[in-house]
Amino acid sequence: MDTSFFRRPIPLTASILVALAIHGPLLMMELPLKTSYDANFHVFFASHYAQHWFNPWNEKWFAGFSQTTYPPLGHQWVAMFSYILGLPLACMLVYLIAILLLVVGVYRLSRLWVSERASSYAAFLTAFLGTITFLVYSAGQLSTVLSAPLYLLALPYFYDWSRSADGRALLKGVVLTLVAAAVHHVTLIFGSFMFALPVLWLACIDREEESSIGKVIGRGIVFAILAGIGVAVVLAPYWISLIKHPIEQVPIPHASRSNFLLNIDYAINYFFIPYGALLLAMPFVVWIGAASRRLRPLMLGFWVAFLFSLGGTTPVPKWLLGRAFEILTFERFTLLAALLALPIVGVLAEMLLDRYKAAAAVGLSAAAVATMAFAMGWITWSPYRPDSSLDVNPVINFMDRDGHDKYRYLTLGFGNSIPKISTYSHANSVDGEYNSARLLPEFTHYGTAQLTSAKFFGTAGMESLRAMLEHANKYGLKFIFVHDPYYIPLLNFAGWRQVEIFDSGQITVWAKDDVPPAHPIPSDAKPTALEGILWGTLPFGFSLLAILLAIFMRDRADASRNLVEFPAITQEPVFIPEAR
Amino acid sequence: MKWTLAIAIFAATIVLVIISWFQSGAIERRRISSADTPDEAVRLLLSRVKSHNWDAAYAQLANSSYVDKDNFIHTFSGDDGSLRTYASLENYDVWPLHSNGRLATVRTKLHYSTAVGPLDDVRDIQVEHEGDAWKVLWSTAALPKLAPQVIPVNYLRWDVINRGAADDWGVQNVDSPRVRIVSMNAVQRPDRIVIVGEIVNEDTVPAYVDVNATLLHADGSAITQENSFDKISHILLPKQVSPYRVDFPGYRLTQIKSVRMDAKSMLVPASADPVIEVTGQKLQKDALGKMVLSGDLVNESGAIVNIPHVLASYYDSNGKVIWVSDGYVDQALLPQTPVSFAVDLPDDIASQAHTYHVVVNSFVNQAS
Repeated sequence: MDTSFFRRPIPLTASILVALAIHGPLLMMELPLKTSYDANFHVFFASHYAQHWFNPWNEKWFAGFSQTTYPPLGHQWVAMFSYILGLPLACMLVYLIAILLLVVGVYRLSRLWVSERASSYAAFLTAFLGTITFLVYSAGQLSTVLSAPLYLLALPYFYDWSRSADGRALLKGVVLTLVAAAVHHVTLIFGSFMFALPVLWLACIDREEESSIGKVIGRGIVFAILAGIGVAVVLAPYWISLIKHPIEQVPIPHASRSNFLLNIDYAINYFFIPYGALLLAMPFVVWIGAASRRLRPLMLGFWVAFLFSLGGTTPVPKWLLGRAFEILTFERFTLLAALLALPIVGVLAEMLLDRYKAAAAVGLSAAAVATMAFAMGWITWSPYRPDSSLDVNPVINFMDRDGHDKYRYLTLGFGNSIPKISTYSHANSVDGEYNSARLLPEFTHYGTAQLTSAKFFGTAGMESLRAMLEHANKYGLKFIFVHDPYYIPLLNFAGWRQVEIFDSGQITVWAKDDVPPAHPIPSDAKPTALEGILWGTLPFGFSLLAILLAIFMRDRADASRNLVEFPAITQEPVFIPEAR
Repeated sequence: MKWTLAIAIFAATIVLVIISWFQSGAIERRRISSADTPDEAVRLLLSRVKSHNWDAAYAQLANSSYVDKDNFIHTFSGDDGSLRTYASLENYDVWPLHSNGRLATVRTKLHYSTAVGPLDDVRDIQVEHEGDAWKVLWSTAALPKLAPQVIPVNYLRWDVINRGAADDWGVQNVDSPRVRIVSMNAVQRPDRIVIVGEIVNEDTVPAYVDVNATLLHADGSAITQENSFDKISHILLPKQVSPYRVDFPGYRLTQIKSVRMDAKSMLVPASADPVIEVTGQKLQKDALGKMVLSGDLVNESGAIVNIPHVLASYYDSNGKVIWVSDGYVDQALLPQTPVSFAVDLPDDIASQAHTYHVVVNSFVNQAS
């Protein structure tokens, strides 16, 4: 047995500790809340669950919207932890759990395809992925980052069940799939094609002697049906909401749908930063993947995810998604592509270490660290970085005093600070940061996102803002907080008057006298009490069940899988012990 | 197999990228960048203006040695806090008017997104054939330079003393100024009902006013409510009259029984400054053949008016208000310097319009 340092697998615990050492301090600093676009959005959603666990109707945005339009589990866990840690730290804890689970998930996924040593390298490299840094600290995508590892953890059970009809695997796999869906359904939907199909293909290749391909596929279909039924039940209020109000609003532009060849900033933001040094490995991923019969499905899954991650740089996403192309954002696919590439990157690392030993170790480490360092640096260098320096406390204090919260408010030029105000103020706004929940015609008839950033959407944005201001009386929209003087001429001509100044003119408050107090806007999107109970019970309940299953129903396969670890003479590299 | 698949994937990726590159208009851009025709030369110039690539745009002028670069930039980006400084070129239409092989005229319609809504600007651009390509002959109007002078400030001003600093605006223990809607006319347009009319401040103090209109069913129940938004002078000095207009998109007069009008007023501080004179008003057709009311605005005050807003009411032979139209002027009003304006009105209304009246709202940036 070769005991060389460079030929030994890295213990999973060590990889987890490395991930903890890297991301723990960054998250303790609450970096995503200061540098990312969406982290505050997730805190806002969680704050609602913390106060109204069984009532997903949230009055604070869009004159009322349903949180059943977004899978709740990530936010519910933040809400649960917030009772002890407070909302910001609770959110950071969930981010950290997601990252640590990603390390474990990559290891477990890799073990389906490659050796323990290669898997350990894949798991070790996970913590350094540029896409994780990008999604957590720049985009602030909690749900994708938390859902992906849960899905990765479900895949080995899907494989075990499909390959060898292991009933325990079916139970655990389906439960984990439901939990992943309860965190983020989009990741599940795309994961089904990009992850599950390659795994099913692998299960067919690795099937037991007495089993046939038909049986394997049949079991895969059984798994899919059970998971489909489960997802339909667990997220029932979501589907009800979607059926009642399919997304028909005018598409809102998003840079991730662009052709990156035509804009170097977009290319850096959505391609070079998320992938980093992984780009150097990609030709080898395709090469090694194509060379091995067992790795071929994985490589094809990676390729599809990679094409999706390019947004409008290839026509594939538009061809396959149709109108949904204009609704989705594509930066999340960099994570899926990277996760699919990692097992083969582990093999590549194994080859390099075997051949170049210390030099390879230094090179790989430098590439990993550089990838993460550039992704962290991009938070500062990016022309698209959010402005988190704005102090929104005066806005919160103003709205919460003297009965101002009888009226609705609007912010202009506040960037992604809306959720911060909404989380800590009692007052309600007509604006909001979640495009899919908007039902007011002042939003849906125009191709614009938040009103606070209306000018960045050109005529569509300003027309949407005008429409909202024209209906100020209807919505009880009396107060407007302005951080960007660009909007002042419109307010001036529309009859608003400046009434207060905060922070030496950083923020001005504008009011319109004849606006009546706000009243609830009737909406058929309001979930029923039963939907509220289901929403507050099933997703969280299934996550508890998954934890209980993980604790009390240990995996039998672990022991056998870890036993075999010596090379055998074969025509092609051996990637999994059982398949020899 | 392994060679074939790997190469196929590399090749397919490259082919897909190339397809998307073609689909995203790269060929069109490449063609325009050659400026082989007059309209391509103008499109190239405007595409560079749109992306704020001023150096490249300026380099495309055939007469750049005679055109001041700052003036050229200010043509698009504005100055003196005007509406153009709050605008960005969003799109443009270009069509050739005539060409003799060496010189050509190209008409452009520039669509700006501005802080108060969309703004269109029609401009005829001369283009000259130079070498293998066409280049733009840019003409900029020389900015007038005023002689130093003193303009006395003797306008009226009304201040309002609140009960205390903590008072909210709108919480006043005084009677609202007396305002009255003096005329109202519901007009059916192809896509909407438009309520037009005039409101007067009958009081001796200035008033903030807003007009709301509610369409009613036969049983008196409300169908929908809209307000005058920016199609009114919200601040009325004593005895001052303002036209107003309220739009109801998607409604027809046959759907409604009556209209309930509601004028809100409130005491506010105000001043008669800035004084803006309207001169040379006339109804005429513009370059695109649309009927417009045009004229000049002259700022009689000593300070710059950053954004003027023209509000015009049109009367029939009986003195009844038959239409109200408005428009923002994209140039700032410098003291004593005329700036032209033009506001649209529908052709069928123009044929009935007997007289018209223009009032000007203004935005003065306190920071400028």
